[in-house]
This record gives sequence, C-alpha cells and structure tokens, in this order.
Amino acid sequence: MNMNPVLLKELKVRMRGWKAAGIIALYLLVMTLVALFIIYTTFTNPYGSSIDPEISIGAYTALAVIQFILIMFIVPALTAGAISGEREKQTLDLVLCTRLRPISIVTGKLFASTSQTILLIIASLPLFSMVFMFGGISIKEIAQLFGFYIVTAVTIGSIGIFFSTHLKRTTAATVMTYGIVAFLAFGTIFIGVFYIRIFYQWDYQKFLPILYANPLVGFSSMLAGQFGYFGGGMRLFPGFYIANPGSSPNILNTIDPWLGNIIFDIILSAVLIVLSAIRINPVREGMASMFKQRKRLKKTDADNI
Amino acid sequence: MLSIKALNKRYGRFQAVTDLNLEVREGEIFGFVGPNGAGKTTTMKIMCGLLKATSGEISLEGVDVLRNSSRIKEKIGYMPDFFGVYDDLKVNEYLEFYGSIYNIKGSERKKITDDLLELVDLSSKRDAYVDSLSRGMKQRLCLARSLVHNPRLLVLDEPASGMDPRARVEMKEILKNLKSMGKTIIISSHILPELAELCTSVGIIDKGRMIISGSVAEIMQQVYSKKVIRIKLRDRVNEAATLLREYPFVDKLVLGEDTIQVGFEGGDEDMSKVLSALVTKGIPVVSFAPLDGNLEDVFMKVTKGDDEQ
Repeated sequence: MNMNPVLLKELKVRMRGWKAAGIIALYLLVMTLVALFIIYTTFTNPYGSSIDPEISIGAYTALAVIQFILIMFIVPALTAGAISGEREKQTLDLVLCTRLRPISIVTGKLFASTSQTILLIIASLPLFSMVFMFGGISIKEIAQLFGFYIVTAVTIGSIGIFFSTHLKRTTAATVMTYGIVAFLAFGTIFIGVFYIRIFYQWDYQKFLPILYANPLVGFSSMLAGQFGYFGGGMRLFPGFYIANPGSSPNILNTIDPWLGNIIFDIILSAVLIVLSAIRINPVREGMASMFKQRKRLKKTDADNI
Repeated sequence: MLSIKALNKRYGRFQAVTDLNLEVREGEIFGFVGPNGAGKTTTMKIMCGLLKATSGEISLEGVDVLRNSSRIKEKIGYMPDFFGVYDDLKVNEYLEFYGSIYNIKGSERKKITDDLLELVDLSSKRDAYVDSLSRGMKQRLCLARSLVHNPRLLVLDEPASGMDPRARVEMKEILKNLKSMGKTIIISSHILPELAELCTSVGIIDKGRMIISGSVAEIMQQVYSKKVIRIKLRDRVNEAATLLREYPFVDKLVLGEDTIQVGFEGGDEDMSKVLSALVTKGIPVVSFAPLDGNLEDVFMKVTKGDDEQ
C-alpha cells in the first residue's frame, strides 16, 4: 500500500531536527510532573490508605482532562492553516496540477496536521500506565480514552481543514475553527438548556440529542462511565444525564453519550473532508457550480448572438 | 497534439479569454505572447486543469481536457508564473516528493531526480534547502519539478520572469536542451525577444483574443506585407534612386547620405532584378539587404499597448 505522498512529506519535515523530539520531551515532562504531584498529594493525605484506587483515578482524570484540553486548543491552530497556508505560500497550484486527487491532498494535510497531536497522545501512553500501579483503571478504559482522543483530534482537524479550504486567510480560518469548536463545546449546551427551558420548563428527563455533538459531554460521560460513580444516573444539567450502561434504560437514550459523540464526529469529519476536497478541486462540478455554469453559458450564448 | 477551439473564460462580468483558437503540433515550441493581463495565464491554467473554462473545447492527443482533467494531468507538466517552494525541504527531497505523487518508486525516483538536477544544473545543490536557493535556481528547480513525470507537453508560464540576465541565458539554454530532446512546449512571455530564437511558432494574445498565430515566418509575412531593403552605396545615391523609381514594385524611397531604404512589394526575383540593374549601371553597391522585421516590432504593431488596459 502506498502512503499518501503529502502525509509522508509533511511527516518527514515535521520530525526533522530536535524540535519535534524536544516538544514531546517537554510535554511528557509537564504531564509527568502533574501526575506525580497528584499522586504525592494523595499519598501524603493522612487519611488515605497506601494502595488506594482513588490515587490512580485522580491522576488518570487529571492527565485525561489536560490531554483533552490540549487537543481542543492545539488542533485548530495546527490544521486551520494547512490548506490556506499552501495557498498563501503559492504551493497549492503545484500540487493541484499533479495527478494527486483532491481527496488525497485533503486527507494528507489533515493527518499530517493532526499527527503531531496524535504523536503527543501516543507518547503519553506509558505515562498513563503509571496509574496501573494503584489499580482502578484497566487497559480497556485507557484504550477507550485514547480512541476518543484520536476521533476528537481528527474531527477538530477536519473542521480546521474545512475552513482552511473555504477561507482564503489562515487567520480567518483559525478564528472560525475555534468558533465552531467553542460552539460544539458550549453553544450546544446553551441551546439545549434554552430548548428545555422554553419547551419543557426544565422537566426533561432524557438525554437531549443535540448534546451528542458536544465533545465535553461525550468526554465527561465516558470518564463517568469508566468510574461507575453515578450508579443509577446523574443529571449534570438539564438534558445531560449520565449513567452506567444498562442501569437505567429509561433515563438514557439508546446510545451512550460518548459513543453517540464518536458517531457524530465520524460523520461530521467525513462530510467536512468531502466538502473540502470538492472545494479545492479547481474544476469541480458541484451542484451549485453546475447551476452557475449553466447560467453563465446561457449568458455567453446570448452575448455571442 | 493540442487543439483549443473557441475557448472562453469569464470572471463575473470580466471576459478574460474570448473565442481563443490554437493548434500546437508535436515537437513544436509555441511562444504565447501578450502584454500583462492579456489572458495568457488564464488560458494556460485552463489547459492544465487548474481553472474551469466558461465554454470551448481543448483536446490533448485526442483527450478532452475540460472533461478529463485528472487524466491529462499525467500528460502535462506545468510551471506557473508565481509559485512558492516548501522552505523546509531539500532540493532532492522536493523533486522526490513530486516523483512520489506520480507513483515513481525508490531507485527510479532517485535516478530521475539526479538526471533532472543535472539537466537544470542544480546537482551541486541537491542537499541544500530549497529556501536557500536564488530566484533563478528556484525557477530552474520548478522547471525540473514539472518534468518529473516525463510529460508529453510542457506548459511554462513566464519561466524567466524576474531573473537577472545571466539566469535568463541559463534558462534559455535549458529550454534549448528540452527542444533538442523533442519536447512539445508552450511558453508564455510578455517579452518577445526572449522567445524569438527559441520558438517554432508564436501566438500573440491581447485582451483575451488571439490576434495572430502561426510560424514565426508566417507571422512576419502577415504583418509585414512590404519588405524594406537597405542599400548602401559608395556614391551616386541620386542616380540609383532614379533607377529604382522605374520599377513598379518599388514603393517608397528614403535617401540617406550613402544609403537608400526602399519600400518593396515584390518577391525575391524582383529583388535580384533590381540589384542586377544597379550593378549593370555601374552604381557602386556596398551592400543590398532586406531589413529583418523583428518580432518585437510585430508585437508592438498588433497589440495596442498596456496603457489602453
């Protein structure tokens, strides 16, 4: 199988020199210090026992949250300039005039831009293994967390790429990407809360479907599910119920919030990647452009007469 | 090889290219000449599948370019007028990247890279970062990039723009090399002398319309239906002028101290008749030669100049 040439080139360039290794080292150092600080403070708690799963859960949660915030903040900055940057540097035409299909250019750029973040995530994997010393967290749960990270990173990356192809300037694309990520994280909650307030007068006992789009809801529901804290279910705010699967079938919709979020993310990414590929194709035949073309042709005919 | 029929491109209300027709035969070096903003780049981008035409037909070796843009990209090598380079790649990596796009594998890709670097005289820079190259070198590298997949047709948009005189000469040498290799090339420029000695045929475009196209000789003939002959004499200028006026194909005479410029409507046979008459009469002719109309004059004559745009 041939590796995408754009991805291969970008990876080669990004991993050149000490910069990439330095960033990974620094990141891991900070994360390690955070984990050690939490473990140390829990250990010195006179009321805590020496082998307490609470220690690992505290460290795990801190690392998981820090890493999630990192994804939400870093990926838009890395991806929003991926295509617009090529346009600004006048290198896009050189790639577009080759046999490379627009979809390959878009996916190559997407995975190259998110690769740094994904590399940081994977590099932190051994750090998470530290929590095994204290029990309470299984490999399955860590795999679930990392799967969620990667899907979220790729989704935010797709949003960045989408704006990068549709807007000429990297700055505008970056602002829009952060805007959409903020909307997904907070806007959906506001809409949900207002919706429940207006149509249900707070009396809403289910999981509101719009929150499937919310990465924070997905992430927190996954963590809560992993810890099994909320026995029969818990309402964090109107429309957001989390519960252990199967414990309260009437409270939960059919899909767990985190799983619903992953499905939403995958569909959103696919749509945005396809739209981006259509956008960068210079001779695209989208429905709108076909309509415009027909109008243009008619007008040209009229002019010729 | 390449045929363009009634090509139109409109941006909103602005008509960039109007009913453009063009034929380029295999092995030809076609000079596409016109002032800035005449529509050269637009036409070239449409040929290369980088812009959508409003209407018209383009076929390359029988393939409809406008409907099979992905297929024709294998056959065309394009060098744009303005381009950037990846600043963090080395020269050989740059070419290998484009080679990998065309699915050229390992050792073959390395060989092609070496050959191309030699062709554009950049072998000594193979491990230098692309960003560190001079503008002329970058242009040559971009030309090498457009040749990576051994295209049937090369489309070069102002390949020597912004270069110093030495770099221009070097670029010209490379193009001559490509010409001797039998490549079909379409090359645009807003400066004609640059192309005159290189091209087998020329098309002059102005305000989106092809004003004139054909072989260099044909164009000269179309534009200059009259020849101008310059006769240099040792003396007896007036006597020579009187003799010349007797011929019906002599149109106008401009007399100098020891020269006569003759507006001449006849052919080569008539020209030899005139020369022989002068010599028979014992007029001391030092030289007798038709003046070459140069392409620059043609360009100025058929285009209206930039100030009208």
